[in-house]
Amino acid sequence: MSSNDQAPINQDEVRRILDQHKDKTKTALRVCAHCSLCADSCFLYHVHDKDPRYMPSHKFINSLGKLYKKKGKIDRAGFKEIEEIVWRRCVLCTRCYCPLGIDIPEMIAIARDICRSQEVFFQWSELEQPAE
Amino acid sequence: MVKAKRKPLEEIKQAIQDYTRVLNIGCGGCVSVCLAGGQKEVNLLNAKLNLVLKNDNRATRVDGFTVERQCNEAFLADLDARVARYDGLMSMACGAGVQLLAERYPDKPVFPAVNTIAIGIDRQIGVYEERCRACGECVLGYTGGICPITRCAKGLFNGPCGGTNDGNCEISKDIPCAWQDIYNRLKAQNRLDDIKKIKPAMQWQNQTRRLVVQDEYASRYKDK
Ligand code: SF4
Ligand code: SF4
Ligand code: SF4
Ligand code: SF4
Repeated sequence: MSSNDQAPINQDEVRRILDQHKDKTKTALRVCAHCSLCADSCFLYHVHDKDPRYMPSHKFINSLGKLYKKKGKIDRAGFKEIEEIVWRRCVLCTRCYCPLGIDIPEMIAIARDICRSQEVFFQWSELEQPAE
Repeated sequence: MVKAKRKPLEEIKQAIQDYTRVLNIGCGGCVSVCLAGGQKEVNLLNAKLNLVLKNDNRATRVDGFTVERQCNEAFLADLDARVARYDGLMSMACGAGVQLLAERYPDKPVFPAVNTIAIGIDRQIGVYEERCRACGECVLGYTGGICPITRCAKGLFNGPCGGTNDGNCEISKDIPCAWQDIYNRLKAQNRLDDIKKIKPAMQWQNQTRRLVVQDEYASRYKDK
């Protein structure tokens, strides 16, 4: 674990990054018609038996969308959930397709950026290894 | 994925010590997976560097920032404003990432902090084995899924050579002969015919820079 990953969330910094991408985020949240067409283009959605938690729209709405709606007021536990979504449920392969033109990987990348600013990121060194 | 290993601290220090403000840029892709250059490794390296630079009475200070993928410009946009504040850049991505940074910021010196080693597989946490040298002409289909470019000391396409020795390579009794392994696996699959044909010499393509354009997308770039 990194040194200051238990420090209180720096909400000013979170808001600063949110503001930087405010227009795009707002537009994306507004235009998403919840049509779920993006789901079909995500291989992870298929790999996980069409589990709705793997739908690209669901992932972006519950990560960057949540940060935006709560104006960054999310505690470490909340960040942990977002980490799970943006690293474990998306590999940023950039293959998903939204007919309304939302760049979902870009939204997820912004959410990752915000997580990283708070020293929240996927710990590859703690990945479980398959049994020998 | 691409496997890399961090350069020795002293080598990195020597490279950057004449700059005042250095930004160490990590990559969230392959080098995070192989624990060489993700955000965690950026933090660790910076802490060490800042300490030795301070002990050496150098003015250099190193900050960190990790992008999701250094080999794709879509993930570099947020870097632009940040980079302007530094006089030197360091990259913990593979050589591809380092070069894209150098291309995007041509007026900034860029120093690699890792050595790019291989395309490989994950064995254990922190243990990775080379599996492919990206020769551009994959032969695994007739070698039983064992790469002779990576595994055979001579990179032979028609083996084994006369040096094969009780299952080991002539260069060391501790290194298995790739072609013996290929033979064994194909024999078990009843496919020895696959290696009886003589393979023509490889048209080595790696002397010039390769470009990958997927056929389905080629029409988009025809005029370029
Ligand atoms: S970028 Fe993420 S959400 Fe989009 S297709 Fe890839 S894994 Fe799925
Ligand atoms: S820059 Fe190199 S290490 Fe980073 S994702 Fe691309 S290929 Fe992998
Ligand atoms: S033959 Fe070996 S080096 Fe060439 S592409 Fe296949 S695995 Fe890679
Ligand atoms: S002994 Fe086997 S592995 Fe070694 S060079 Fe000859 S064919 Fe290649």
